[in-house]
Amino acid sequence: MSHSSDRKTDDMKEIASRLVEMAGKSGAADADALAVNDVGENISVRNRKIESVEREESRGIGLRAFVKTSEGLAFASASSSDFSNDGMRKLVDQVIAMARISTADPDAMPPSGAEHPTTAELATWDDKHPVEIEWTLAAARQAALACEEAALDYSDKIENSEGAEAGFSRTHVAYASADNFRGKYQKSSLGLSLSVIAGTGDQMQRDYAYSRVQQVEKLKNPQMIGQEAAERAIRRVGARSISTRQTTVVFEPRMATSILGHLISAINGRSVLQKRSFLAESNGQALFPEFVQIEDNPDHPDGLGNRLFDGEGTRCRQRTIIDSGKLTGFLTDRYAAARLKSEPTGHARRGLTGDTGIGPSNLILHPGEMDVEAMLQEIGDGLLVTEMMGFGINGVTGDYSRGAAGFLIENGKVGQPVNEITVAGNLKKMFANISHLGSDLTWFGSTAVPTIAIADMTVAGQEG
Amino acid sequence: MERIAGISLPSSLTALDTRGGTDERLPPMKSSPQPNNLPVAEETLSQMLDKMVPTGADDADLYLEQSASESLALEEGRVKHVSASAHQGIGARVIRGEVSGHAYTDRLESPALMECARAARAIAESGARAQSVSIHPDRTDHQLYQPANPALTASMPERKALLEKLDRLARTLDPRVKQVFANVSTSFSSIHLIRMDGSHLHDARPLVRLNVSVVVEQNGKRETGSTGGGGRFDLTHLLKGDEAERLTREAVRLALLNLDAIPAPAGPMPVVLGPGWPGILLHEAIGHGLEGDFNRKGSSAFSGKIGQRIAAPGVTVVDDGSMPERRGSLNMDDEGTPTGCTTLIEDGILTTYMQDRQNARLMGVEPTGNGRRESYAHPVLPRMTNTFMLAGQDDPKEILSTLKHGLYAVNFGGGQVDITSGKFVFSTSEAYLIENGEIKAPVKGATLIGNGPDVLTKVSMIGNDLQLDPGVGTCGKDGQSVPVGVGQPTLKIDEMVVGGTDS
Repeated sequence: MSHSSDRKTDDMKEIASRLVEMAGKSGAADADALAVNDVGENISVRNRKIESVEREESRGIGLRAFVKTSEGLAFASASSSDFSNDGMRKLVDQVIAMARISTADPDAMPPSGAEHPTTAELATWDDKHPVEIEWTLAAARQAALACEEAALDYSDKIENSEGAEAGFSRTHVAYASADNFRGKYQKSSLGLSLSVIAGTGDQMQRDYAYSRVQQVEKLKNPQMIGQEAAERAIRRVGARSISTRQTTVVFEPRMATSILGHLISAINGRSVLQKRSFLAESNGQALFPEFVQIEDNPDHPDGLGNRLFDGEGTRCRQRTIIDSGKLTGFLTDRYAAARLKSEPTGHARRGLTGDTGIGPSNLILHPGEMDVEAMLQEIGDGLLVTEMMGFGINGVTGDYSRGAAGFLIENGKVGQPVNEITVAGNLKKMFANISHLGSDLTWFGSTAVPTIAIADMTVAGQEG
Repeated sequence: MERIAGISLPSSLTALDTRGGTDERLPPMKSSPQPNNLPVAEETLSQMLDKMVPTGADDADLYLEQSASESLALEEGRVKHVSASAHQGIGARVIRGEVSGHAYTDRLESPALMECARAARAIAESGARAQSVSIHPDRTDHQLYQPANPALTASMPERKALLEKLDRLARTLDPRVKQVFANVSTSFSSIHLIRMDGSHLHDARPLVRLNVSVVVEQNGKRETGSTGGGGRFDLTHLLKGDEAERLTREAVRLALLNLDAIPAPAGPMPVVLGPGWPGILLHEAIGHGLEGDFNRKGSSAFSGKIGQRIAAPGVTVVDDGSMPERRGSLNMDDEGTPTGCTTLIEDGILTTYMQDRQNARLMGVEPTGNGRRESYAHPVLPRMTNTFMLAGQDDPKEILSTLKHGLYAVNFGGGQVDITSGKFVFSTSEAYLIENGEIKAPVKGATLIGNGPDVLTKVSMIGNDLQLDPGVGTCGKDGQSVPVGVGQPTLKIDEMVVGGTDS
């Protein structure tokens, strides 16, 4: 780990601490602050030539301050990119003035009093989670060129390229709260992606492949990414719509992440409080078949969502979200936990501005025993979905309807490519109707999922 | 992050929706632009250009942005989310042929700016150009909106009172209303663009938005309804008129309507789309596919189709960034090109792609004022502004009466498109099953899917009731979000696939 890197997080910590102290002196009853420094570089190549180079450096500070009123605590938040003394003073004054306009909430949860990680845990976290500092723009360029080349050389069916992109970013974050908690960490992210086109005219089909990791040694081989993108685009050529039917829909891991995402939105403690979730009354219920196990793991070697503490300084812990098909509880920050009369689960999420939200760290849907081939054999006929479009999900009712593309499953084998179809159902029923989980656990950033098969969905298409 | 991972589809339009949208008369513009208060000395900017522009550069510019936004949000009867942000920064870019270099920083001190200029120049092999340029003012063509921060037109307590009033109204309208969420946000960004020749353009862009959504409950069954509206105007629009109340009534009506919704049909059928926001059809089906970058690269389903019929006779679609006070409007685009009205499809024939400067240069055409960026820290891309279909001759009632068995969709959520295959979707939030020209029942939200290059050839009737959306659209492309507008008259499309569950 480099010293300059360390100094940056220390600088951020110093800034966040000062903001919290200034807020206290200016009349805030409680406060917390965040300081962030981001550096990123990105290069894109297309048709074996460099297309663009980008470099970004940005900083931000965010303050949340609470003031006392006769009806309880009221709060406000603001962010700025001005790190000067004057800028910080302005920010503090602005937030406190705004907090006095804000309506008090008798249940308001000030940042002080969270169960923080220990000093020893804080001290060792960065050493156990080293960030990547070696990847350079030159290495990124080489990876992007190699990746695209592998796709272009893969087959003459690859007619065009949308280009390959490689980039990395390093983030230094510090958090301070009025109960003297001071936390800081660094993060790095490297990515390499490619999108290519097979076919021509009305039968052009695009597909992509990518890898996003924290450290360069975990990055997928660029040639493999290139070949994957090429293969995926080529196999889609000749896609057509199909007749409307009720059938089993198999979501490959890339698409299965979204199903997990819908579950997480629905068990968000704040949505539950506001009756904005179709699972608001489902605590403890068997939502899934017994073989479904879902965990949130804030410290996983393959996850990009590792964190020691959450957006309000609460220590994060491994949690089983779905245990043998049953929902074990809702995900909460301290506010939602207090109102739901449960323990905070360490899922507070915070940006520079705004109240805390709720979100997972690393989500893992445990894989099944069967490889995908055997799974498709057992399913016989159905639809394999490899791409989805649109936002047709109603979080209050769970009604689900999205555009899709993929392949027919015929006699247990992947067959005819299809597109211009929709898949529809209701999420609650879809969860219960999961018939198979593949053994192909795959990581996508901070989510790991296998192939998921869901029985009895409606597929609509053009052939009446 | 998304952009690096490349996991997002090339485009999407995610937004709340609301029916119709009143296109009320706009007040005349009185005040002149603010004095051009450059946050960085002219000499420093001139030095940056000297450092970054190589010989043989086709284009280069500096984009200085200062923005401030405020938001108040009500939930559970309390305006307890009050927030603000203020940011500034500069984007430097150099373009030569198909290659571009970009650097962004939010530090406006001289050493950081010089480092930024150096990084933007990284693509250039040749030496610096010989001549230095001086910064000199230039003018934009339009004055489409007041160059003032809309937050200054109503205090936070006034905005808070508005949200509380809407909360009370929603709860009074119907006892089944259990939750009300309302949010009013303002933003103001001041942009200084310094071009390669030293010319200096300034634009100051206000933006206001109000969202209302409710959750209703009846016999243990819940539903939701959402509306919104806004534009490049000040807050008096929302505080003085009855627009805010109208949006609230609409949110309640939508939620209650959906309580009685039956499952949507599944399969191909004729569809009548209402006027206004359903124009999201155009944004997804043809809009993105007509953006210059995809067509220069040959990756759009519309590549090489200029001069060809892609819509039925009578279909004319334009993109107009020069409409006063519209959400998608700009005095100049983010490269200093004046916005205007570009005809994309004329009487069914594809006429023009939307262009930024780089793609226009490479395709040998003129830029159309569609070069946009989310902020100083994003590259310029060809993007839409306000995209709509002109009115036709048909009476909307008559259009509906011709529907034997089909869907009448008047409100939508978001949509998305696969540029290359041309397949696109958009999802209904208010739709009815029609039998023999009569409304049979409201149906649950469903996604409609179609093929961009041929969906408009299936347009068989065009209403005389053109409406623009109420000012809610946010378009996403390559991880960048920009405000846009859409619009259309009532339309009949002879066949689209409806993605319900009732097969």
